[in-house]
Amino acid sequence: MRFSLNFIKELFPIEMPPQELVQVLTMAGMEVEHYEQAGDDWIFDIEVTTNRYDWLSLVGIAGEIAACTHKKFNLPHVELIKKPLIRDRKIVIENISDCPFYIARIVRDVKVSDSSAGLAQKVAHCGINSISNAVDITNYCMLKWGNPLHAFDLDKIEGNVYIRRAKTGEKFIGIDEKERVLSGENLVIADDRKAIALAGVIGGKNTEVDKNTKNIFLEAAIFSPVVVRRSRRAVGLDTDSSYRFERMVHPDCLECASQEASDLIGQLCAGAFSGYQQAGKKPLVKRQAVRIDIAHMNRYLGEEFSPVKLKNILANLGFSTTKESAGNISLLAPALRLDIKREVDVYEEFSRIYGYNNIKTKIPFLISPEKRVLKTGPLGRFYAFKNELRVFIASLGLKEIITYSLESGEELLRLGEKDPLPLSNPMRSQENVLRPSLLPGMIKAMRHNLNRSQTKLRFFETANIYQRADNGFREAGALSLAASGSHEDFFYLKRATQEIFIFLNRPQLEFKEAELNNFTNALQVYADGKPAGFLGKLDEKIRKEFDLKENLYFAQFDLNTLLDLRRDKTYKPFSPYPAVWRDISILAQNKIKFSGVEKAVKGVGRELCSYKVVDIYRGKNIPPDCAAFTLRVFYQAADRTLTSEEVDSSHQLLRDTLSKINGITLR
Amino acid sequence: MDNDIKNLEARFNEDIKNAVTAQDIEFLRVRYLGRKSSLNDLFAGIVSLNKEEKARAGRNLNILKQKITSCLDEKLKGSQSSEEKFDLTFPASSGDKGSLHILSRVNQEICAIFERLGFDIIEGAEIEDEWHNFTALNFPGDHPSRDAFDTFYLNIPPVDPEKGKHLLRCHTSPSQIRVMEENKPPLAVISPGRVYRPDEVDATHSFMFHQIEGFAVDREINFSHLKGVLFYFAREFFSGDARLRFRPHFFPFTEPSAEVDVSCFKCSGNVRGEKKCSVCKGKGWLEILGCGMIHPHVLEFCGIDSSKYQGFAFGMGVERPAMLKYGIDDIRLFTENDVKFLEQF
Ligand SMILES: [Zn+2]
Repeated sequence: MRFSLNFIKELFPIEMPPQELVQVLTMAGMEVEHYEQAGDDWIFDIEVTTNRYDWLSLVGIAGEIAACTHKKFNLPHVELIKKPLIRDRKIVIENISDCPFYIARIVRDVKVSDSSAGLAQKVAHCGINSISNAVDITNYCMLKWGNPLHAFDLDKIEGNVYIRRAKTGEKFIGIDEKERVLSGENLVIADDRKAIALAGVIGGKNTEVDKNTKNIFLEAAIFSPVVVRRSRRAVGLDTDSSYRFERMVHPDCLECASQEASDLIGQLCAGAFSGYQQAGKKPLVKRQAVRIDIAHMNRYLGEEFSPVKLKNILANLGFSTTKESAGNISLLAPALRLDIKREVDVYEEFSRIYGYNNIKTKIPFLISPEKRVLKTGPLGRFYAFKNELRVFIASLGLKEIITYSLESGEELLRLGEKDPLPLSNPMRSQENVLRPSLLPGMIKAMRHNLNRSQTKLRFFETANIYQRADNGFREAGALSLAASGSHEDFFYLKRATQEIFIFLNRPQLEFKEAELNNFTNALQVYADGKPAGFLGKLDEKIRKEFDLKENLYFAQFDLNTLLDLRRDKTYKPFSPYPAVWRDISILAQNKIKFSGVEKAVKGVGRELCSYKVVDIYRGKNIPPDCAAFTLRVFYQAADRTLTSEEVDSSHQLLRDTLSKINGITLR
Repeated sequence: MDNDIKNLEARFNEDIKNAVTAQDIEFLRVRYLGRKSSLNDLFAGIVSLNKEEKARAGRNLNILKQKITSCLDEKLKGSQSSEEKFDLTFPASSGDKGSLHILSRVNQEICAIFERLGFDIIEGAEIEDEWHNFTALNFPGDHPSRDAFDTFYLNIPPVDPEKGKHLLRCHTSPSQIRVMEENKPPLAVISPGRVYRPDEVDATHSFMFHQIEGFAVDREINFSHLKGVLFYFAREFFSGDARLRFRPHFFPFTEPSAEVDVSCFKCSGNVRGEKKCSVCKGKGWLEILGCGMIHPHVLEFCGIDSSKYQGFAFGMGVERPAMLKYGIDDIRLFTENDVKFLEQF
């Protein structure tokens, strides 16, 4: 809301320098976003929060300035004249809940011309273009009282005036000269033949006041805020008028505005008031009664306030005290403040004028035994777990990424996701569904970097994924890991997976070969017999389709499953005796999986404590359908140093077992 | 013969101790293993012994020879490595350095500050319903107060029609409702997470961003506690001499409500300089969060007796403080995931 300080000074004297006033108002909640000097005037631009419809009027702002400068403001008095009645036209309200109250005044024999410089400047300094004396007067009164008014050219209204819903397809041209097709969402003012205004939003071209206008029909009304809101949204408009109606207009101000506008049109446009009419019923406005308990207020705000100071501040704000007893004050809310309903509203009013920054600063004691339940409950544990896991995965050498939860449905379709959760009001097709997997975000992050000459990328993300479920949908935390590059990078990922399960204290994970959607080469990961996730190589076809310059190896796990699997760690004693190793060189036909070798190794007995592949060779001495590698096997006992005879006999057993496997040759 | 072998071994043990350079070691090799060495002499002398002695001496001499050989080899290795100069100006080896995303870090840092004060950390879900996102937070239906909270709705049937349509939460405040519906005071909870609003993406806007909600409810929690908690946070997170400014504001779910500014950590509010401060644009203050005393309606919606309990709540973005603190000038950097960005933190 923009207003002129000179305009305010018509209502209330201001002694404070403008710069200081800006600070005072801002700190009391009327944030001055911008201010500038304009000749002998100052223009303030304030932010009006949605509860303060009264700040959309100069009388409301004057009241606020008074309270902020420790003074009291009284509303100007306006003498209401409601006679003679208009007899030749009827005002018909179709539905009283769309428009509870409508008043009209007719001013005859006006001369519409340019405004005086003073009036033109006043509305211009409040951000409204000067049109003509008659229109400027309606805007002046709207600015002053907060009620939008509309002046129609009486002679262009054919017959009676109706406040009704628009018919579907009804056409309407506003004073902005744009044609709009209306629907039942729109409330219109109409005469016997046509719509003449979009109620509360914009006047119609067909009844606009111009320089030839002789007689004016002046409308003031209360329209339902919700109806105005839906109506103006339906036609994509937001006007000074709709802005105010949506936030509420005060019935008392409405009458003053109508009266004053009619008086001014009489004075400044040389017209004569000739009739009044109303329809509906003026809503009863009662000043809200609120009782406050000073002790409760002190406990709420955290400080003992002086009762004298409290009463002064409330009086300046326009509260009236009706009763006072034993620490309680019964109050009536300020006349214009329909937003004040209960004691906490009074606390806010008092404290913002007192100054939030003058209230003491204390640290509460928030730790209590009964409160511990949350931290140790499933949700509290989940947050801590996720944090720990992230730090652990970063320590493995992966970089954390954050990608959008919203994806393009079309792109997901290319990944075989046919039924993701859709948005009803997406902004763009790129973000119109919720992702059911962390893969699409990972692909984008990888592609971004691969296109910038980065290679061998290692990323991870923890975020929620969203899927349909029997009872509607399921939103669950997931972890993704990925490495770009070639073949061996898959094993990097496998290693990372193993490390994560060691971190969970569940080293006995199981990998089962699987064919998954988008991952022909994949392993399902099981722990404790339960599936926990998968890892795999993104299919070549998908890789090309998504324009990735390297292969992508991707893993995804369900975070809740990982948390369930996690076990506390306890120290496991290890053998102090030396481990002895022996190498076996193996030539295996490609049909033989390493898992076959692994099975043999595991069958040797408990003294075989670990093994690893130390060398893989390919090339001239190796037949093309074979892989050759050296397996290093470690032997160790918990209670003694193994003798070389013991080692040799175990090792021989292993060699015998391996050599019996069809397709394996020991070298 | 046995004695000769022992003496030879003892002599060698003395000599090897004094050998330092590779040259010394090669000298000893010739002396003890060369053709004219005592060892060779002893081998030659075996012939004159009887059968039994011959076997023993042969075995012992072999053992000694092996011992001397390996001893010299070991020592040579040691001396060589201590001697050899290699090019230390070669580049350091490269390897993968993992990292946490800066938003994760900032998020954790903020949460940890409040944890120290006794808050518990609970995350809420991102798919919410109208009840938890709006109604229970005291938003009137179809009112302009919802305009600042534009929301993505989901095109799926409601699971519980009484709770309204499903949507992507546009703030973390629904967590407040969820926790209060299911737990009794005293409560002190921080709830971080992703939130969504239909906003065009540019340098300062995104349709997805992060927020941190905090609230405390008990019999005596009051506005001055809210100030104290946020003051502690600002001093821990921004700087040890940070000041706060509470400006009255309006939120449907708090009363009284405030917006909070922190003194600019770069110019500390000293705006008189020639050039406008790049962080606060010369204002001296940075808006960081919204807060207030939880509206009694909200407590009542959650089944908490507002005549017995009262509390405060606050909510802040994560991107903005992160951008301010680390001088990041484009919000899109957070989700672009460029390695050159990721590896800086
Ligand atoms: Zn600054």
